[in-house]
Amino acid sequence: MDLFKLLQTLTETPGPSGLEDAIRETLREVWEPMADVVVVDNMGNLLAVKRANQQSRQPDDEEITGSDEKPPRLLLAAHMDEIALMVKAIAQYPDNGDVEAAGGFLRLTNVGGIDVRHLYGQPVVVHGRRDLPGIIGALPNYMLPDKSSSKAYGFDELVVDVGLAAKEVREIVSVGDFISFQQPLRKLLNDRASGKALDNRASVAAVTVALDYLQGRRHDWDVVAVATTQEETRLLGAFTSAFAQRPDVAVALDVSFAKGPGTKENHLFELDEGPIVGLGANVHPGVLQKLKDAAEALEMKVHVEPHSYHSGTDAYGLQIAREGIPTGLVSIPLRYMHTMVETVAIDDIERAGRLLGEFAARLDGSFLDEIAEEMMGD
Amino acid sequence: MNIELVKQLVEGYGPSGFEDHMRDIIRPFIEDYADEISVDTMGNLIARKEGDGSGLKVMVAAHMDEIGVMVTHITEKGFLRFTNIGGVFPVTLAGNRVQFADGTMGVVYSEKRESRTEVHGLDKHYIDVGATGRDDCPVSVGDAAGFYRSFRAQDDFLVAKSMDDRIGCVVAIEALQRLESTPHDVYFVFSVQEEVGTRGAEAAANGLEPDVGIAIDVTTTGDTPEAATMAVELRAGPAIKVRDAGMIAHTGLVRLMRRRAEEAGIPYQLEVLEGGSTDARSIQIAGPGAAAGVISIPTRYVHTVSETVDSGDVENSIKLLVEVLSKPIEL
Repeated sequence: MDLFKLLQTLTETPGPSGLEDAIRETLREVWEPMADVVVVDNMGNLLAVKRANQQSRQPDDEEITGSDEKPPRLLLAAHMDEIALMVKAIAQYPDNGDVEAAGGFLRLTNVGGIDVRHLYGQPVVVHGRRDLPGIIGALPNYMLPDKSSSKAYGFDELVVDVGLAAKEVREIVSVGDFISFQQPLRKLLNDRASGKALDNRASVAAVTVALDYLQGRRHDWDVVAVATTQEETRLLGAFTSAFAQRPDVAVALDVSFAKGPGTKENHLFELDEGPIVGLGANVHPGVLQKLKDAAEALEMKVHVEPHSYHSGTDAYGLQIAREGIPTGLVSIPLRYMHTMVETVAIDDIERAGRLLGEFAARLDGSFLDEIAEEMMGD
Repeated sequence: MNIELVKQLVEGYGPSGFEDHMRDIIRPFIEDYADEISVDTMGNLIARKEGDGSGLKVMVAAHMDEIGVMVTHITEKGFLRFTNIGGVFPVTLAGNRVQFADGTMGVVYSEKRESRTEVHGLDKHYIDVGATGRDDCPVSVGDAAGFYRSFRAQDDFLVAKSMDDRIGCVVAIEALQRLESTPHDVYFVFSVQEEVGTRGAEAAANGLEPDVGIAIDVTTTGDTPEAATMAVELRAGPAIKVRDAGMIAHTGLVRLMRRRAEEAGIPYQLEVLEGGSTDARSIQIAGPGAAAGVISIPTRYVHTVSETVDSGDVENSIKLLVEVLSKPIEL
């Protein structure tokens, strides 16, 4: 599998939270050859089911999981949406009533966690009746009322310019249309990849690696890969897909902060030092141990990242669906999060995928009993 | 639009958590039109209109509750200290009036100010009900009050406290009354506790697990002097929500609402709201999730005693909701 090429396809396809249609179709084509069935649920989540290929479970196990005669089910969740922008209003300039002559400009708001300091000068695509290329502009600094200001532009100063007159803009663009960033994926030295939406297409790629890994392995559990929607705004796909799928175990995949210039030593992780497994509030200790076991079997180094409350990932939503789901978290270290130059080490993605594949293959008929007993204590 | 219904609803008492009175006001207006009426554990009033079996399960939510205040302490001299129920802005308080469930009226004012433009926080405000001490104070700690102001209709310019969201209730009630037949099983939920975190709708949606959720609520406008940028104005029709601070509406449902409005010649606007949310956010994420959207009534001066709407916008909101509910919903 050419991971750089896959990442290129995944990151360069738009998928703002709430408008995941394009990335979903792209991903469907990638997952279809690797799964028994690929479906889309009513929240727009893409689900690829790879059925267990070894029926080793005993009839007694049915009562424990409540899932009839089917094998237990593992949900691997990675969100496919990305931070983006939205048209808040359409302005015209000059605004002197002469609609024919006026240029049309789009006023902006955020979709997900946008750091407004990164916006000025970015190339974008406006998803109107048809896609329009645009740029984010503003008055040059020296023309601002406070010329000496070194403050970043806020949303009120920024516009998207698509080059059209106001009249033409209104024919193609509506208030509420999505705007995505346009940034080709770059290969940096040392097998680093840099671009937009690596949060969380890097994880989507890792899930793809896991599905690929399972092609050659026997696994007792059904594995359901889900690419979730609207994580960046409210973890919507995680909450709803976990409720609908009712998996026996779930693992979320996301990116986490990598070390880089200015970061402190503690709690962050080097690029290219392998995947990170989450520990703490959103993570079931039995699932964490099983992930560590899988890493050991692969002789793969993993780092542990503690989360005291909210991991900021789909794990937060998966964990409390239904009666509660034993949940794990695997993360890929990433620099410059929520910018257009997010940077990862490609090998970390490969390793995270292989770890998940091995984890899935090692789940057997007794795993749920074991972790239940562990929780009961003495 | 039935203007008497508007008056009764907006003047009714019902801070979040104390919606009993509102249920009693609304029930007579829906009884003859629903196939089934129920009240759930939370206190949501639910009217079911049965479909012909070919459609979806649709939850329509308009909240009965309103912002208000709750008494936390009574001073020796009989003044009431209070906390907020929902989004109460201090700048709206001094000189305003509140009313308790038993009809007791109180005047709100603040402690001394250093300048005329200074606005104190809630903790430096009090309510005066005319009592001279604790013994003759008709109000107890824990009692809740809503704001008190009579309804005015100046032609199409409708002004009242609690248009948020009694005008949404009006839209839902009149849509139910006008809805002759529908392919969908429609549950009109007059919800509780929206102003304290869209909690009534969340429980109702957990219970109903609808395919589609449509909230009817107010939204702010950008058409007043030096207002924050927002492309919604009074008198330009209902606003079909695309995004607010709590959710992104289902794009398929937004498309369908727009199509229905265009087919029926109903004017509409598209709404991008940066602060605040509605019951739809709770419906969207309940259970396996629902395709969620909102028909918003453009409203000036939200969360004051002079919430202002245009009667034409209200009428068109009713029409749009009827159009959506009476025809197939393809997402």
